[in-house]
Amino acid sequence: MRRAVGSVPLLLMLFFIGHAKETRYSPPGKPKLTSCRSPEKETFTCWWEPGSDGGLPTTYALYYRKENSDAVYECPDYHTAGENSCFFNKNDTSIWVNYNITVVATNALGSNFSDPVDVDVVYIVQPHTPENVTVTVMEDKDGPFLRVSWEPPRKADTRSGWITLIYELRVKLEGEEEWEEHRAGQQKMFNIFSLRSGGMYLVQVRCKPDHGFWSEWSSTTYIKVPDYFPRETSVWILIAVFSAFIFFILTWILNLKSNSVKHCLLPPVPGPKIKGFDKQLLKNGRSEEVFSALVVPGFPPTTSSDCEDLLVEYLEVYTPEEQELILEEGKDLQEGCLKSKGSPSDSDSGRGSCDSHTLLMEKCGEGEGKEEKHQERAQKGKRQQKHQTGWEEGDVSHTREDVLSPDMSEGRVKTWPSVFSPLPQYSSRPLDHQGSLETARQLCLSDSLFPPPSTSSHLSYNAKEGLALGSGQQEFYLGKKQTHPSNPQSQPRWHLQAHSDFNISSMDRKQAASGLQLPGFRSTEYVEVQRVNQEDMVILQPLFSSSCQRDGHLQIGQGEDYSKVKGVDSGNMLLLQREVEVKREEEDGDRYSCDIQDRVTESCYTTSTAASSQVTGKPTSCAGTAMPVQEEMVLAANGYVDAATMLL
Amino acid sequence: MPENFRSVSAVWVGLVCLLFYSRLVRVGAAPICTNGQAGCHILSLADLFDRVIQHSARMHGISSDLHSEFEQYFFPSKNHIGRVNRICHTSTILTPNGKENAQRLAREELTEVILKLLVAWRDPLWHFQQSIAHHHDFNNFSSNKALEMSDMVHELRKGVEKVAEKMQMLGIISNSVNSLTSPEALIPSDRAEWRLMKDYVLLYCFRRDSNKVQNYLKILKCRIIPQHEC
Repeated sequence: MRRAVGSVPLLLMLFFIGHAKETRYSPPGKPKLTSCRSPEKETFTCWWEPGSDGGLPTTYALYYRKENSDAVYECPDYHTAGENSCFFNKNDTSIWVNYNITVVATNALGSNFSDPVDVDVVYIVQPHTPENVTVTVMEDKDGPFLRVSWEPPRKADTRSGWITLIYELRVKLEGEEEWEEHRAGQQKMFNIFSLRSGGMYLVQVRCKPDHGFWSEWSSTTYIKVPDYFPRETSVWILIAVFSAFIFFILTWILNLKSNSVKHCLLPPVPGPKIKGFDKQLLKNGRSEEVFSALVVPGFPPTTSSDCEDLLVEYLEVYTPEEQELILEEGKDLQEGCLKSKGSPSDSDSGRGSCDSHTLLMEKCGEGEGKEEKHQERAQKGKRQQKHQTGWEEGDVSHTREDVLSPDMSEGRVKTWPSVFSPLPQYSSRPLDHQGSLETARQLCLSDSLFPPPSTSSHLSYNAKEGLALGSGQQEFYLGKKQTHPSNPQSQPRWHLQAHSDFNISSMDRKQAASGLQLPGFRSTEYVEVQRVNQEDMVILQPLFSSSCQRDGHLQIGQGEDYSKVKGVDSGNMLLLQREVEVKREEEDGDRYSCDIQDRVTESCYTTSTAASSQVTGKPTSCAGTAMPVQEEMVLAANGYVDAATMLL
Repeated sequence: MPENFRSVSAVWVGLVCLLFYSRLVRVGAAPICTNGQAGCHILSLADLFDRVIQHSARMHGISSDLHSEFEQYFFPSKNHIGRVNRICHTSTILTPNGKENAQRLAREELTEVILKLLVAWRDPLWHFQQSIAHHHDFNNFSSNKALEMSDMVHELRKGVEKVAEKMQMLGIISNSVNSLTSPEALIPSDRAEWRLMKDYVLLYCFRRDSNKVQNYLKILKCRIIPQHEC
């Protein structure tokens, strides 16, 4: 209903409009002159736009007046130029004359005049497009280029100079959007360079009189550039510069990293590292000199040496019960040959055990396999020496504690982890399986075998410090050893072997005794040979770390400390020096192996000046057997210790 | 030492300027040799024509600029003053208003027409420039242009006279061309509105006449030297 009502006024409106259109007539609307143009400055055409015709047929007329004249003329030609146009031919055209043009629209009801327009033909020139546009590809030494040539529009008379045209052309590659425009001036030919090889180009030309409008663009001319190799020198120069730059960068980098490159390409050949081996001599080709340089003049040492030349192998300190200081003389220890040996009563297998009396060595010849972790030096000729006999003791009834013999190394101390089984002679005390452990610690000090030639009588130190568990036994061995088998007696060497056996007390023992032991009890203690000073004194240093215990039992060394060797007297007696008590630090129980972790540094002073080697001994760890080491660091020593033999 | 430096540099600059100026002056002062005298630079007719045509083109450009500027500022609506009676004072000079008419004229006549036009405009332009400078109606840019325009007319006339001389020397044209007197300005009025009208009409007329001069010169050149850019 509503829709019907709304549509009614619409219908009425339409009816009236239609009706009005039909019935209403009016004079024509105002026409409008749109433009007048002259193509060659000799004729011109004016176009107009008709207004509404008012419903009646309307005619249009164009009238013009020339400058300063009142005569009105009508357009001579309405048809040549098409609909709603007026064409003025040459006869009717006057240049430099102002035309006042008006268009009149007339129909039955009236007429309507357009606005007048003043026209001077000179300023409305718009030529036709240039004609005969030809594009050719020409060759040049730098490459091909396009030559575009054209002709002026046919009607424009440029030959007489009546009209002067300037040209413009535009070029683009097929597929591009932007045209590249060039002003050609008055010339009728133009060259286009820098072409892309193999590209298809589009060219258009247009022209303009010196005062006028631009013509339309000519129809597109297509031209294909043949493929060619760009011989532009600038490109090649750029490439050359760039590559040179890269080359220089690479060379510089290579120079910086020359070392690593050399290592990569030419891995270095290991050369001989024999001390005293002169490569230059070898290069010179004189082998005699080379090998003569290898010969140590002072070796084997023939001259007497001080106590500092002594090689301390081990120091075994006996408690007064035993009071036997056995010194072995002339016996060369087999380096690296101390083996841990399982004594029959040794419940621990694989542990190195050291006989409290004899730290040796005869058993060392067996079981080479216990040697571990000590590299042999090629220059050590001592390796082959296995002199053990000197260390034999009368009381061989004890099971031997084998001590792993350290290797002789140049100025290096090697220690072995050795765990010593409790000596059978201490079976009087019940030893727990886990409680008693013997920890032998050996410190092998060895000096460089081949010292600088200046030194003579260079000895290698072999200091072994063995820790043997023995109940209340301390053994102290001080002996000299010959290191060179070839000269058994040529050169005396001092081998200080300090071996102190300590009894790692058993549990009950530990708990029982916290202080001084019974006089009958002698506990072994770990001693390290600190050095041999100038007065032929072997300075021992108790091992602090040996106080580590399971239960954290603080052990304070009480009593006297006889770890300092004062000297060896003429009667081959080792004089110990009393010292103040030493405090020990409590250590964690976890570090039950820390007794061996105590660092032992011993510097062997030799008579020679040069070779003061620093021997660093690695503490032996209680590896292998995780038996807790409990020991008491109670030292009770006698006033002196007999030195069994001393080779002077 | 900045003072020393400044004085030295001033001296150098002065020397350089002197050098250049002497060169310029020498070139500019080189007379057109009529008899091939020594020490003068012989300009060919084609060169003369080119120079003159360039001159006329520049003159026409300035006049067009001034005209459009005047029209824009003072006569925003074309019908503001009603029908403008643009009567140029040079309308008395018969000038060909078509290509055929121009080509029908002889060289001498054509040259004469050119010269007549140029002569006729020397004084009005000078007055025009004076009025612009005095009345401050135009900005500096326009007054400079007006001054340049009046100078250019003067120069162009001298140039065309030189060309005519050369042609006469070369025997291209006869010796009938001679100096002409300038006709009087048509509307000498000093009232304000007339002055304004006069200026506008003057500019309008001069723009057209400068175009005529340029075109006539081109026709002349292409008639006499057809191979040179025609």
